[in-house]
Amino acid sequence: MASTVIGAGITIEGEITTDEDVVIHGTVRGKLQAKEGVTVESGATVEADIAGGALRVAGTITGNITSSDRVDLQSGARVIGNVKAARITIADGAQFKGNVDMDT
Amino acid sequence: MADVTVIGRGANVVGRVSGAVDLEIHGRIEGDVAVEGDVTVEAQGLVAANISGRRVVIRGAVKGDVSGEDAVRLEEGARVVGDIQAPRVAITRGALVRGHVQTSGSESSERRARETQKAARPAPATARPTATAPAPRKTTTTAVGASQSHVADGMAKVAPKGPPPPVVPVLKKGAKGALKKKAG
Amino acid sequence: MAQARTTTATQSEARIGSGTRVHGRVSGEGDIIVEGHVEGEISVHGDLTIEQGASVTSDVDAHGVTISGSLEGDVNATGVVAIRAGARVRGDLRGAEVTLEEGAEFAGRLDSEFALPPELEGTPARR
Repeated sequence: MASTVIGAGITIEGEITTDEDVVIHGTVRGKLQAKEGVTVESGATVEADIAGGALRVAGTITGNITSSDRVDLQSGARVIGNVKAARITIADGAQFKGNVDMDT
Repeated sequence: MADVTVIGRGANVVGRVSGAVDLEIHGRIEGDVAVEGDVTVEAQGLVAANISGRRVVIRGAVKGDVSGEDAVRLEEGARVVGDIQAPRVAITRGALVRGHVQTSGSESSERRARETQKAARPAPATARPTATAPAPRKTTTTAVGASQSHVADGMAKVAPKGPPPPVVPVLKKGAKGALKKKAG
Repeated sequence: MAQARTTTATQSEARIGSGTRVHGRVSGEGDIIVEGHVEGEISVHGDLTIEQGASVTSDVDAHGVTISGSLEGDVNATGVVAIRAGARVRGDLRGAEVTLEEGAEFAGRLDSEFALPPELEGTPARR
């Protein structure tokens, strides 16, 4: 399956729906709905609610996260929003502010 | 389709050119071009007229609408101000266009095609090459030289449907070679 | 590198994959390759490529634009607009250069900047 990549200089304002992986280096504002994994790379800015599979975060997310799998916040990640996921890891150096709901 | 009618480089046609011929334009036409065969406007061609033919290739300058029964192709050197319409349209590098372009087959194209066809399709008449009546060979048009050679009687100004055309023999296909040599 | 797959997109490129729909505005630096569907607005400093099977319903502002899929919207390009055979385009195009491959479906205006030879300028438009 192909994947969708949002490059560093690109900004998308609106709704993104996809059935493939998404890798974000740039900026997304609005709403993101993915069936597969979502990676928010270091330097990326997401101001949107995210619903997806496994999430790997090294950048900045302001919005609520709903994952059907696991959410991994890496060092350098900044997340403001609620997270609903089966599993979550928050690495040393990651910043997180919100509620975590691991009720499956 | 039959013979090629050639409008040489020094020729200047004011009027309508129509017929069951292929047309090759190196000179200037002001009026209307509607033939059943293929039309080529060569690099030095200057056409202030609507053009319609079967396959139309433009390498020169056209101020008018261009429509092709089969295809219209704009090649390097083409400069067209006007609308273009054909089932297949090609515009290659170096061709310049200003106008509406439509390939038939898109939704509203059928409607527009009918409109443009009404405008561009006259009733076919016998071939009316530009040569002065007494001269049977195309070469005379270039021999007359520069721009001021107007066509003989019957085609003075832009006549929508003039008097019956003079019977002028059409250039045979082979003669084109001779023309090119002289026009060089 | 759990989910990241190898892609041909570089860091400053965006690739909207074939299974992706974007409804909104896409803007910024870099090139955009659309294999999926975009509806809204596209305004980038780089090149836009609409691959075969992709569809874009949007006005486009870009440097170069290459269309093999479907586009509905007006294009303002500072570079070359190339419409490939098999493309379906409806909209007005303005670019440094526009090429249209035979077999493409196109309906719209082309507006290139150029002057006709002076011999034709004075003649009335034969409409």
